[in-house]
Amino acid sequence: MSYLVQEDFVRYECTCGSLSPIPKLYFCRHCLKLRCGYCVCHEVDSHYCSNCMEHLPSAEAKMKKNRCVMCFDCPNCFHTLSIRATTRAPEDGSNKGHLKHYYLSCFFCRWTTRDVGIPDQIASSGNWPLKENPHQELLSSFLEHYKVVAMRERSQKDKKPIFPRRGYSTYTEKFGLTNLIARKRAGLPSLPLPGKEVNPASIPPIKPCVATDVIDTLPASYFTDVPDLTKITTIAQRHANPMIQATVASELHPQHRHFFIKRSLRCRSCEHNVSKPEYNPASIKFKIQQAAYYHVPEIRIKTFEPLRAGKPSEIILKVTNPTSHVTSLSFSPKSEVNKGGVSDSVILDSLGAPKKTVEIPRPVVQDEPNTQVELPTEPIVLPARDDAAEYDDSGDTHNFHDDANVVVWRKGNKAAVKFRIVPDRGMKPGDRSIFSFSMEYGYVNTMPTTAEQKSPQRAEMQVNVLIAPGLIVGNLD
Amino acid sequence: MALYEGLSAEKQAVVLDLGSRYTKFGFVGEYSPRCIIPSEIRCPRTNKVRRIYDYENEQDLYSLLVAFIHKLYFKHVLVSPKDRNVVIVESLLCPTFIRDTLASVLFRHYEVSSILFVPSQLVALYALGVRSALVVDIGHEEAQVIPVYEGVPVLTAWEAQQLAGRAVENRIRDNLVRAYKDFAGASGDAPMPIPGVDVASLPESVIEDIKVRACFVTTRGRGEAIADGKPPPEPPVLEYLLEGNQMLLVPGWVRESSCEVIFERDNEEASLANLILDSIRKCPIDSRVTLAENIVLVGGTAMLPGFKARLMEELKFLMKTSYENRLAFSTVKFHTPPAKENYTCWLGGAIFGSTDMIQMRAFTRESYLTKKAVPDWSNLATNILYLSKLTI
Repeated sequence: MSYLVQEDFVRYECTCGSLSPIPKLYFCRHCLKLRCGYCVCHEVDSHYCSNCMEHLPSAEAKMKKNRCVMCFDCPNCFHTLSIRATTRAPEDGSNKGHLKHYYLSCFFCRWTTRDVGIPDQIASSGNWPLKENPHQELLSSFLEHYKVVAMRERSQKDKKPIFPRRGYSTYTEKFGLTNLIARKRAGLPSLPLPGKEVNPASIPPIKPCVATDVIDTLPASYFTDVPDLTKITTIAQRHANPMIQATVASELHPQHRHFFIKRSLRCRSCEHNVSKPEYNPASIKFKIQQAAYYHVPEIRIKTFEPLRAGKPSEIILKVTNPTSHVTSLSFSPKSEVNKGGVSDSVILDSLGAPKKTVEIPRPVVQDEPNTQVELPTEPIVLPARDDAAEYDDSGDTHNFHDDANVVVWRKGNKAAVKFRIVPDRGMKPGDRSIFSFSMEYGYVNTMPTTAEQKSPQRAEMQVNVLIAPGLIVGNLD
Repeated sequence: MALYEGLSAEKQAVVLDLGSRYTKFGFVGEYSPRCIIPSEIRCPRTNKVRRIYDYENEQDLYSLLVAFIHKLYFKHVLVSPKDRNVVIVESLLCPTFIRDTLASVLFRHYEVSSILFVPSQLVALYALGVRSALVVDIGHEEAQVIPVYEGVPVLTAWEAQQLAGRAVENRIRDNLVRAYKDFAGASGDAPMPIPGVDVASLPESVIEDIKVRACFVTTRGRGEAIADGKPPPEPPVLEYLLEGNQMLLVPGWVRESSCEVIFERDNEEASLANLILDSIRKCPIDSRVTLAENIVLVGGTAMLPGFKARLMEELKFLMKTSYENRLAFSTVKFHTPPAKENYTCWLGGAIFGSTDMIQMRAFTRESYLTKKAVPDWSNLATNILYLSKLTI
């Protein structure tokens, strides 16, 4: 939880080069690499309405133009509209009982469909009138026309030059008379060519727009009346409905509510999902969630001495092994190239050819380390995670040959490790101290990568970590 | 997912018109964009809203575009960008740098299958069904005039000036500062503003809102009188409620005269009407009548109340005075596109993109990855190869 509200103190370098805290990282178990939101491929998974939680298959959502069938948005304040009912006596005076009438109303800004003259409906689901594009017919005729023109151009381009067939020659070819010319001479119409030859006559005609020199002048009321801003729409209200773009509030028209989506994330190089939500919009669970905090040792800052420029201070980091396998951590200076665990196995596509993946450009990282760090030389062994051990207060029984100056505390799969950091001399009070190192850890891959390897594979992994514990509080003296 | 993708194997292409202020985005074959949203993105690191066109360098523009295009796809049109065709409607005068970075973002980051770049001035004609027109694009940053004759943009005759939405907004701010100075200096029964309004640092959104909802383009006669320092009776003062309980007084003359910046003729003779006539004059004499009688106004600034009427008045005045006997035409006519001005170019792109042209002319991902450059009309290295494909 603290991760959601706190600043990012500990950031891991993703394979793509961007820095993220561990909850924002994914770990692809197929290529054994860290992935982040920037370097995975996002896909639209399911469409749903955030108001009524209705979800539609994507083809149907596409037909409905990504809008909910039932819910409406307020054109004034973009809040959801609610259906309200009133009873009214029948207009013809007969005593058939009171009829229920429905209208839409915004509970936030008090806008109602009655404000803009939309008649009340008798059914609660409502057959609310929708505005059509006033130029629909004209634009459709343009579309048809240009489609045929383009198709004709394409067929002309695709037409292959006709070569005379070898092996036999006809009389007409011998004398330079092609079939076509022969027909022409005989006054016969030319044979239709195979393919999508379009007759020029069949191009649907269009009625081009006609320009005019009669322009409506500005109404005189502009010079004499104070504009009533409550009656003139804002630019956001206009753009909410691009087709109509009503300039006065009385022409606003409610629109069906726009869908939201659930996304699934896919690793770019191996095309396996790293995150896939459940289809039901009411569920917040995932079918697949390869989050990095299930696989990569987590680092947290436990405590540190006040930081002074040029003066060494001690910092204690807590490392946790989230996997169910023993791992050992070792630390080294930050490596320039962030390499993954195993040597890059060439991924083959369905046809057996090596897949061409294009690496996305590395994002800009502005934070440069400005603090030196003294790293422990000995590797630190972390036991496997054991949920039952969390409740075991009997004390730790394991025997690790730890240097008491390095590992200051240990419990279950966690250990607290002491580092010494020295902020650079030139730093001023208030500067943010940043140090970095590379962490190597053993990872057991339980995912069968190829058909032959059935047993879990052990791999040595490496990740660069950037830690910004806090601000410099003073100078050396 | 693929199971329900529908009967047609072809994924519907998207049309992107990345404006300097507002971006229009939607599908081909539709008659209005799915969204018109500000071309800006909230930076996740600093939590500040940044405009796409306020980039610092190429790296910066790249990351801004990655974030912005993500928003367009996953918040507004709700489709996956991968393996989908894109039609980009861009001005012929769009900087190569932006075009290249945009292509790089779409091809490398979003892995779109192909991009079809279409010149906005040219495809605007598809929304009208005409073959020749003088396209006047008055957007946020610039007013651009490019004639298109029989489907070919006349590039030698282009004209552009920074006379568009931004100029109007700057003028509104300057005028408000001046008005508040006058208020402070005035005595007696002049309307006293409520103190505490820092006019010079009003947010851009407020200035834009005043422009959209309270300003208008006045008539030529009144405009001339204002320029001569003999202002006609002022329109009434508008009380504009700012956030909180502050009241901003927008005097009538500010509302009336701020749009004058587009029509002012200084010594450079570079008002919008001058640009239009200059552009036509650069065209061959036998095409001038057609162009002058087919003027298309696109761009959001052209939607200001009274804009078209004023421009017509200005053109008629100039034709009678300084351009007399130099034009070879006597009438000007404006088109009324079957769409709102701010998305007319987008609409043209949507019509053009729904034809077979994507298959024929689009620039595919494979060729981008082998060529590593985007062909452009201004680039001689690719121009010769693509020369035959530039005309429509």
